[in-house]
Amino acid sequence: MGRHTAASSRLGRSTGIFTGTRTLLTVALHQDRTKIAPWVGLISVLSATSILAYRWIFPELADRKTLAMAIGTNPAMQLVFGPPRDLLTNDGFNAWRAGALGAFFAGLMAIIIVVRNTRADEDSGRAELIASGVITREARLLVAVLMATVAAVALAVVCFMLTWVSGGEARPTAVLSLTFAASALMYAGVAAVAAQLGSDARTASSIAIAILGVSYVARGYLDSTGAEEWTRWLTPLGWLEQTYPATQNTLWPLIPAVLLAIGLVALALVLQRRRDFGLGLIPARPGPATAPGLRLGGLAVQVHRGSVITWMIGLAFLGLVYGNLVTSVGDVFASNPAMGAIIASGAATPEGLSFGFVATVLHLVGIVTAIMGAQILMRVYAEETDDRVEPVLATATSRPAYLGSNVLIAVASTALGMLAAGTVMGVVAATSDAGIAFGDVVRQAIVTIPAVWVLVGVSVATVGAEPSRRIAGWLVIVATFGITLLGPTFKLPDWMLGISPLYHVPNVQAASPAWVSLAGLGAVACVLYAVGFTGFRRRDIH
Amino acid sequence: MTAAKKVIAIEGLVKRFGSFTALDGVDLDVHRGEVHGFLGPNGAGKSTTIRVLLGLLRADGGHVALLGADPWKDVIALHRRLAYVPGDVSLWPGLSGGQAIDLLGNLRGGLDRRRRDRLIERFELDPTKRGRQYSKGNRQKVAIVAALASDAELLILDEPTSGLDPLMEAVFQDEIAAVKDEGRTVLLSSHILTEVEALADRVSIIRQGRISQTGTLAELRAQTRVTVSAWLAHPPADLATLPVLLDPHLDSHGRLTATVEPDQVNAAMAALVPHEMSQLTVSPASLEDLFLRNYTAHHDGTDSQRAS
Repeated sequence: MGRHTAASSRLGRSTGIFTGTRTLLTVALHQDRTKIAPWVGLISVLSATSILAYRWIFPELADRKTLAMAIGTNPAMQLVFGPPRDLLTNDGFNAWRAGALGAFFAGLMAIIIVVRNTRADEDSGRAELIASGVITREARLLVAVLMATVAAVALAVVCFMLTWVSGGEARPTAVLSLTFAASALMYAGVAAVAAQLGSDARTASSIAIAILGVSYVARGYLDSTGAEEWTRWLTPLGWLEQTYPATQNTLWPLIPAVLLAIGLVALALVLQRRRDFGLGLIPARPGPATAPGLRLGGLAVQVHRGSVITWMIGLAFLGLVYGNLVTSVGDVFASNPAMGAIIASGAATPEGLSFGFVATVLHLVGIVTAIMGAQILMRVYAEETDDRVEPVLATATSRPAYLGSNVLIAVASTALGMLAAGTVMGVVAATSDAGIAFGDVVRQAIVTIPAVWVLVGVSVATVGAEPSRRIAGWLVIVATFGITLLGPTFKLPDWMLGISPLYHVPNVQAASPAWVSLAGLGAVACVLYAVGFTGFRRRDIH
Repeated sequence: MTAAKKVIAIEGLVKRFGSFTALDGVDLDVHRGEVHGFLGPNGAGKSTTIRVLLGLLRADGGHVALLGADPWKDVIALHRRLAYVPGDVSLWPGLSGGQAIDLLGNLRGGLDRRRRDRLIERFELDPTKRGRQYSKGNRQKVAIVAALASDAELLILDEPTSGLDPLMEAVFQDEIAAVKDEGRTVLLSSHILTEVEALADRVSIIRQGRISQTGTLAELRAQTRVTVSAWLAHPPADLATLPVLLDPHLDSHGRLTATVEPDQVNAAMAALVPHEMSQLTVSPASLEDLFLRNYTAHHDGTDSQRAS
């Protein structure tokens, strides 16, 4: 025993459960910082832009009152964003628009960080290397949680600074930023427990994200049905609402949030001691022993099914939210020409304005759908670098057939996604008295599809021909997003707006819709796909 | 050797990755019906050669003929006739091992179900586990079963048994012997020398992107020095007086070890007789000697390996 202690003290300064934690944390943070930064940035931008947009779109008190009325009477908006406490001030608007969503995304960020640094590392075998070092059993889990904590703190600081600089008041902005950090801490705890339960990274993140989703929907349901105040304590995201940023600015509800986080991490540490390395407490279900009919198409479906189904649900939900937005914001437009100008320039009547808004919203849906398409193509490249393409191409499978089976999934699921979002949006819009026909919304969604295919085409071309340039697949989506959303605001010239494929989508309500531009989009898409397929035939496969 | 008997015929194959030359003029012939051992240190170019044969990488120079066709152009027709086992098998996380076997079989154009089930049993593989739950050895078994369950005339195996336990290694050797008896051809890249010794008819050794030696094991042995060891009652004062002995070493008890060119064994014996030998052993180069000699960078006749 004495020799053991001597050896231990020779190996490290401390023999507590933190041995090795610091070294590992430094390395892991260095590895992950570029993956964490976008989350921190996006959530902070979400908050800062509401401050900026609010003053610009609703300069007068009258506009703000209209907005408050439109939103206050729309349960669907509360389902997504939470209850509007005060839409007459800048910070109150921010607390409403960014509060619930920001907390959701902060939680998601924490889950991804924790699962990536625990389960995913065990799956890949990297954790084994780490675990064999001078490091305690607990260190890897602690490092993952500490990384999420660092991310939470960074989020609070960056979000506060950015929002404050954009014109938010210090106190409400601080409270709001702290709720984001608290959400990240709580769901880091949830993910730490989930990582002990699931038998692999995918199961672990599914469990944690499902819990986050349920808390979010429960909060939305309670908010939109006007349930009694105490019921908000039933979901952790409801606790964060109890801080009332911009109205009461109370911080004490964050205390139970932090306590919950600590409790969950403690539970995870106990559970980790009871499970075997590389296994979860929930054993994985066995699969079928045979698959006599499984071929290329079945493989592509198998590979992409999970994420496509999730996207479809998300897109339908997006349709629901935007459908409600269209109906309730129609009134706001009528009394706010500035907003109308941003959203749908050139429309003369309130109905025309609303439909112009429908078209613009469908552009945004198109961008979200294109992200799904690009993600499917990026997955194809990930399959290649994971050595799973090589054995397939070593069979009597041609390269075009392999790429084609995946591109088909991307093309079909983007079309279906647009259709799903458009149908839900059309149903919601048509049931209100905004004067928007169901058929028009669905038709508008359909004519948006070719533009989405062009956006996805850039990913097809790069992944197919030159994967080292595949970042272009994302850049084109970001650029299109920027042009679509900010272009009209900054009054960019037409040729610049025309870079965005969405700019060429005809409006189906126009007197003579520009159908010919659809053919143009189709042609561009064909060229991009041809580049991808030709390149994929010629290049080395790794 | 006529072209028809050559299943693989590679001449002067060059493959570059940017400024790095991975293959620098590889020549490799594999004859129909033989098991051809493909050996070489890590990074010598074994997997790169195999990937060119599979049409995954495009050759930058030289001629490559696989079953008489061009592996880059005639991919589909060729791949119907071959089966491949990679050295590092990565399975689809959502698919069970059984599904992966069937998928690969179907994509190749069908597999023999009875043979498949027999192999799963022989290799003691649980086909219901999902991809990520298999250990390294079991992932390897999935790929081996998928390849052996086909009736492909050529098997390309890239370190197929890495991670297999000795029992499974024996099963594997048994199955490959059966494949050979059926007249099928096997290109076997491996680091397990006993496996190659047991199975291979001919061997090619690749080093730094070139084939350094090729032939049957007997031929390779014939080119490699013989080890001589004996006790000498009257050891010579100066070993340099016995030039037939290479790298000679004499310890303080009079035990001599040295190597001798294969055609100089008789001369060496004659030279040693005056020194009164006892406990004489003359052993041909072991496979290990053979490979170490070929793997090391100082392959220039000085034979540095023997010094140890």
